Amino acid sequence: MIQDQVRLPLSVAIGVVMQGIRIRFGRSLITLMGVALGTAFLVSNLTGQAINAAVRQEEQSRSEVKRMASFLEAEMGPPRDRIVGVIQTGPLDENEQGLIRFLIDSRVKSIQWYNAAPETPISQSEEAECRRDVSLEGVANQAGSVLLMGSGPLPDVLTAPEPVASLFKDAAGKILACTRTPQGLASPPGVAVVELAREFTPEELIKIAEQKTQAQFRRNWITLISMVVTVAGIANAMLMSVTERFREIGTMKCLGALSSFVRWIFFFESSFMGAVGGVMGGVAGTVFSLAVYGFTYGYGLVFSSVDWVLLGVYLVLSVLVGIGLSIVAAIYPAGVAASMVPANALRTDV
Amino acid sequence: MSIDKEKLQALFVAPAAGVAPCVIRAIDVKKIYWAGQVETHALRGATLDIYRGEYLSIMGPSGSGKTTLFNMIGALQKPTSGKVYIDQVDIAQLDTDELAWLRCHKIGYVFQTFNLIPVMTCLENVMLPMAFAGLEGEAAREKAVGILDLVGLGHRLLHKPAELSGGQQQRVAIARALANSPQIILTDEPTANLDQKTGMEMIELLARLKVEKNVTIISATHDQRMLQKSDRILWIEDGQIVKAARPDEIDFSTAEFR
Repeated sequence: MIQDQVRLPLSVAIGVVMQGIRIRFGRSLITLMGVALGTAFLVSNLTGQAINAAVRQEEQSRSEVKRMASFLEAEMGPPRDRIVGVIQTGPLDENEQGLIRFLIDSRVKSIQWYNAAPETPISQSEEAECRRDVSLEGVANQAGSVLLMGSGPLPDVLTAPEPVASLFKDAAGKILACTRTPQGLASPPGVAVVELAREFTPEELIKIAEQKTQAQFRRNWITLISMVVTVAGIANAMLMSVTERFREIGTMKCLGALSSFVRWIFFFESSFMGAVGGVMGGVAGTVFSLAVYGFTYGYGLVFSSVDWVLLGVYLVLSVLVGIGLSIVAAIYPAGVAASMVPANALRTDV
Repeated sequence: MSIDKEKLQALFVAPAAGVAPCVIRAIDVKKIYWAGQVETHALRGATLDIYRGEYLSIMGPSGSGKTTLFNMIGALQKPTSGKVYIDQVDIAQLDTDELAWLRCHKIGYVFQTFNLIPVMTCLENVMLPMAFAGLEGEAAREKAVGILDLVGLGHRLLHKPAELSGGQQQRVAIARALANSPQIILTDEPTANLDQKTGMEMIELLARLKVEKNVTIISATHDQRMLQKSDRILWIEDGQIVKAARPDEIDFSTAEFR
């Protein structure tokens, strides 16, 4: 018989919660603000990190491209109206794509492109200006300089001295520029091999990583504290809600509401608030950090470099965190309400 | 547990209404509240029987333990010692969920301050205990409408409590108490917040329900008109039941037992 009752009248619980929120709209709004602020802080922190990282990478990449371009220019002279050969061994990274873009922007006559790994296409924008129908032998033909780029292994031809020499037949004054340190490249006689890549020393790498972890730790610590504060705030608001409804709860208990039903009401109210507040806070936090970082770095840079999928993930995460925090915060107040003695409803001085 | 012989004897005294099955039996119920180190003896051993279809009034000065006794026999609190049987079930043996079930199905409560859920309509208020009992949907609606008709509020189904007068609100509360067809209705000063006329209507409604539905009505009250309608009156003082009498044994002009 009790099983009938254990089956929760869910629609009733939802109705009670919704009506409760509507009636105590002001207080609900304050609870909501608490959740929203907490999640907004979390999200703006996360997206801030993401934007920062993306912008920094973009900036680094831009300056790296600039550096490589000036290097290249120093070796081969101004690229305008020249013919450049490109040997692509595999997928290109951002810097290499940037370098190609630089060549196109500075109006080279044409790019003779040989792709050793045809299954890895380069970005579409470069397609138009490049001659793709070149064989490996033809790359260096008429070209004053040849770029070797891509992450794949070198074609066999380049690793043996004899064929390499045959590639660069009229080698005098030609250069072979590599964007990465080429492993096992047999340098052709008479051709100047230029390495454009810059390697960080191990000390530099360690320093960079250290700075990163320190900043991250500081941010995580602040985020954690803000979450604890949020939980305390929500718990306080929920406790107020419980006290306000002492008589209502007691009455319901007199009418036969199970403790679990009462507990459920508060969990439901809290998680509803958490969801709404999480969405509000998530959107607000994202917009806020985009605006702030956009203001400092320039909107163009921020919007072009930021990883929107990651921001979306953070938004979803923030809603989940909002709900999670609210549920954690509701544990104690819901327990207080559920363990209340129904006789309290009869007291007229509550 | 030691039981007074006298108290034990008192259990077997038939009520004025005649021989009827006993719905509530309390044996030597004591209740102690602790406020820090201070013990308060709210009940010092109350023993009583309440019979089916009886209209019982409990009276006593404030602080006499009236409300505590009321809570004990209404399964709202467990006694510190002693036994309370409701429909032959010892409530001390029940866990909180079983107590909730008992309150849901066996007992209807009417409070001095009505305690309707303000955000719900009359109909929803009456349907709420039905939902707790697992009765929902059209069947619940029909039953609730029927009960509201019975208490004379068939034309106010969709009003919120705030839109009703005190007497009407108390009728809704009575309708709500009747929602799960309980055997017992507990009322705590149901007329205290009502004016003379509506108070009288309330008393008559309760008296009518007693006859029509054969429910046991237990009320804590000081209202003389209510006392006059009851079958039996208990006088409680200092945590003990000191007197029991029929209304005709009481001089209402002085509120003293003859």
